[in-house]
Amino acid sequence: MFGAHYKLERNAIGLVLMIIGVASIGGLVEIAPLFTIDETVEEAPDMRVYTPLELAGRNIYIREGCYACHSQMIRTLRDEVERYGPYSLAVESQYDHPMLWGSKRTGPDLARLGNKYSDDWHVAHLLDPRSVVPGSVMPAYAWLARTELDTDDMSAHLSAQRAVGVPYDEDMIAEAAADAIGQARPDSDGAEGVIDRYGDDTAIRNFDGAPGKPTEMDALVAYLQILGRLTDVAHAGASENVESAESGS
Amino acid sequence: MEFTHETLVAFSKTFGLFYLIALSIGVLIYAYRPKNKERFERAATSIFGNEDRPCR
Amino acid sequence: MGHLTQGERELALLTGALLLALGMLMMVMAWGDPLSVHGAMFGFSGAAVMAVTLRGMFAPAPDENRFASYYDAPSKAGIVIAMIWGVFAMFIGDWVAWLLVFPEMTFDAGWASFGRLRPVHTTGVIFGFGGNALIATSFHVVQRTCRTRLPDQFSPWFVLLGYNLFCLIAVSGYMLGVTQSKEYAEPEWYADIWLVIVWVAYFLLYMRTLARRNEPHIYVANWYFLAFILVVAILHIVNGLAVPVSAFSAKSYSAFSGVQDAMTQWWYGHNAVAFFLTAGFLGMMYYYLPMQAGRPIYSYRTSIVSFWGITFFYMWAGSHHLHYTALPFWVQTLGMSFSIMLLIPSWASAANALLTLNGAWDKVRTDATLRFMALAAIFYGLSTFEGSFMAIRPVNALSHYTDWTVGHVHAGALGWVALIVFGAFYAATPKLWKCERMYSPGLIEVHFWLALSGTLIYVFAMWNSGIIQGLMWRTYNDGGTLAYSFMDSVNAMYPYYIARAFGGLLFLLGAVVGLYNIVMTIRTAADTLSEAEDRPLGPILEPAE
Repeated sequence: MFGAHYKLERNAIGLVLMIIGVASIGGLVEIAPLFTIDETVEEAPDMRVYTPLELAGRNIYIREGCYACHSQMIRTLRDEVERYGPYSLAVESQYDHPMLWGSKRTGPDLARLGNKYSDDWHVAHLLDPRSVVPGSVMPAYAWLARTELDTDDMSAHLSAQRAVGVPYDEDMIAEAAADAIGQARPDSDGAEGVIDRYGDDTAIRNFDGAPGKPTEMDALVAYLQILGRLTDVAHAGASENVESAESGS
Repeated sequence: MEFTHETLVAFSKTFGLFYLIALSIGVLIYAYRPKNKERFERAATSIFGNEDRPCR
Repeated sequence: MGHLTQGERELALLTGALLLALGMLMMVMAWGDPLSVHGAMFGFSGAAVMAVTLRGMFAPAPDENRFASYYDAPSKAGIVIAMIWGVFAMFIGDWVAWLLVFPEMTFDAGWASFGRLRPVHTTGVIFGFGGNALIATSFHVVQRTCRTRLPDQFSPWFVLLGYNLFCLIAVSGYMLGVTQSKEYAEPEWYADIWLVIVWVAYFLLYMRTLARRNEPHIYVANWYFLAFILVVAILHIVNGLAVPVSAFSAKSYSAFSGVQDAMTQWWYGHNAVAFFLTAGFLGMMYYYLPMQAGRPIYSYRTSIVSFWGITFFYMWAGSHHLHYTALPFWVQTLGMSFSIMLLIPSWASAANALLTLNGAWDKVRTDATLRFMALAAIFYGLSTFEGSFMAIRPVNALSHYTDWTVGHVHAGALGWVALIVFGAFYAATPKLWKCERMYSPGLIEVHFWLALSGTLIYVFAMWNSGIIQGLMWRTYNDGGTLAYSFMDSVNAMYPYYIARAFGGLLFLLGAVVGLYNIVMTIRTAADTLSEAEDRPLGPILEPAE
């Protein structure tokens, strides 16, 4: 047996196979059970998917690297639950491709930001953070309000989302561009369709408060206002299993 | 056999441990086996030599 | 071009033509999408390769006896490119550090905001600086330890320049708003595919060189380099799985979502630390440290044990990034346990390096190059201890999401990775350019003290700010409610953010001094050589960027 081992070590290909074997088994053993985890993830029958406008806003959130400073994952610690709201459940990010849990809080957690502030507050904050939060170190995102939202390929975006497992139906995909505009323009013909496809609770508002075509500001604010509100499941029995930080248990 | 979440977790929790122990013992024997001593000492000094050209 | 054989020149021409065609296709078909900009970059690189190749197409064929000498031109180019990336990316890093002090400095433009520049810094230092350093030194080390020349003259250039094209695509993409948002794996799907092609070429080149070796035993440094190449490939491919919006759209959606995505991402993220930022640089250390100290590694056997320990343990540790989250509890515990066990192989490596210096401590005192490596080993030991400590759940409850993590990362990145690279470069440069010593040993001393003081200021500032932040978030007043608002904690960070940016500035200045010293060494060496041999040194630097 050790003769074989000796040869193996001399042989570069053997070394390669050993490295692959030793290194990948750890990953496999640890990750494989996670792919059957939907068996253990909470049920959330009321959960809806992102509307095209919210998805576009989410893509802006990704593009601007907001996740570098804001987490979207409230841990099961007492102080976090009291500061931010019920701790995050796995099911809440089941449609998040990719997830935006984050790893750093230069700014506060955003997992339960939706409906915490008004649209106007968000717009003012994104235009000039220090006008509403003195001492903030967040950069201004004023150009979002000047940039028209590109909705041309929204259908392709929803198709790609469906390809990775998000349950968008044919109708949603076909009407994606119209829905993106309709959600930000309550008076327009498109607004009705958004309600039909995404539910009565969907917010149909002129998010940026400005007339004219929807902007990137509309999309981003629409996304920020839906954070933590795709399902109510986290609010039921939320205070169980919370660990107190001081006791450290 | 069906791969449910429970079976995969159980596999991780048992096999993973045995694999860890077996690998550790194997590596320690390989590295500290008296027979291999000379080879490794030679290997450790093999880098000192003519730096400018290939071959010896 | 004089280095390449006729066949290799044709191969280079073909590669350039393919790149040009692909780039043009991307540029035209994706017009209006950021992808077209990157198509233009692909096309331009292809055209540049073709132009350089055509100019040298009919140069004299390379020496028949070339296999009697090492092929070092790619290593030389890699060292210079790595130092340029280092200075650039450290500058960006310091810039974004100042952005937290002066948040208005974004010129009202997207490309200049913190969120877009931060990955420019991380990709620039990890992949631009660290990656080029690894490629350059691995070519140098594998030839010396195998006592054989690289098998051909085309693939090392393909690997080096192709890799730099990937880095440029990545960094320019972030500023254009192209990102997958996966930390340390931000480049989009097409850049990922290009990196896979380059990486396969790198692996094949390494294996072919090992197969040609004239030394029966594969020296342990190569084990580490090989593990770095292999495992990074596995990590990169799995974590990068995504579905693009269309063939001509830069945007893609990750194949994974939610908790699976989080686990995959941090399995990648932590093992990028393990196999990119640790294994590769340990390979560097196991060659350059004994060479510079003039003594063999203290215990070769321990280096083997720690090799398999690191290869095995690290793979399980990623979930310590997800303590108290929606990740299943048993996976968190597993990650914590293995992170603590990791301390064994990590400290074995650090101790092995320091014990090698026994009997050579007088050299450490007088030789700043060796001191760089010794200090790197010390920081390696410190930051691996800190890492295991921070992986303990209750500690992580305090440290996670705070600047403490940032401080920890920089203790490793500045103290370990960058210092071992500087040490290796100062050791390799005089040998590669065939001169007695570096242009100025005094400037190495200056660099050493700038790097050490910069690192210490940085790390201490972040320890303070991180722990203060963590404590403020969880402090209750007598009434049983939270004592501080989030903004209170932001305001408390102000002095530490200034200190951090200042420490980073010192480190950046050190890197600039290092680049100057290396460039001057090359220039003086080129002068003396051309006088001595009456012929130029040949094209040293032809990066495609």
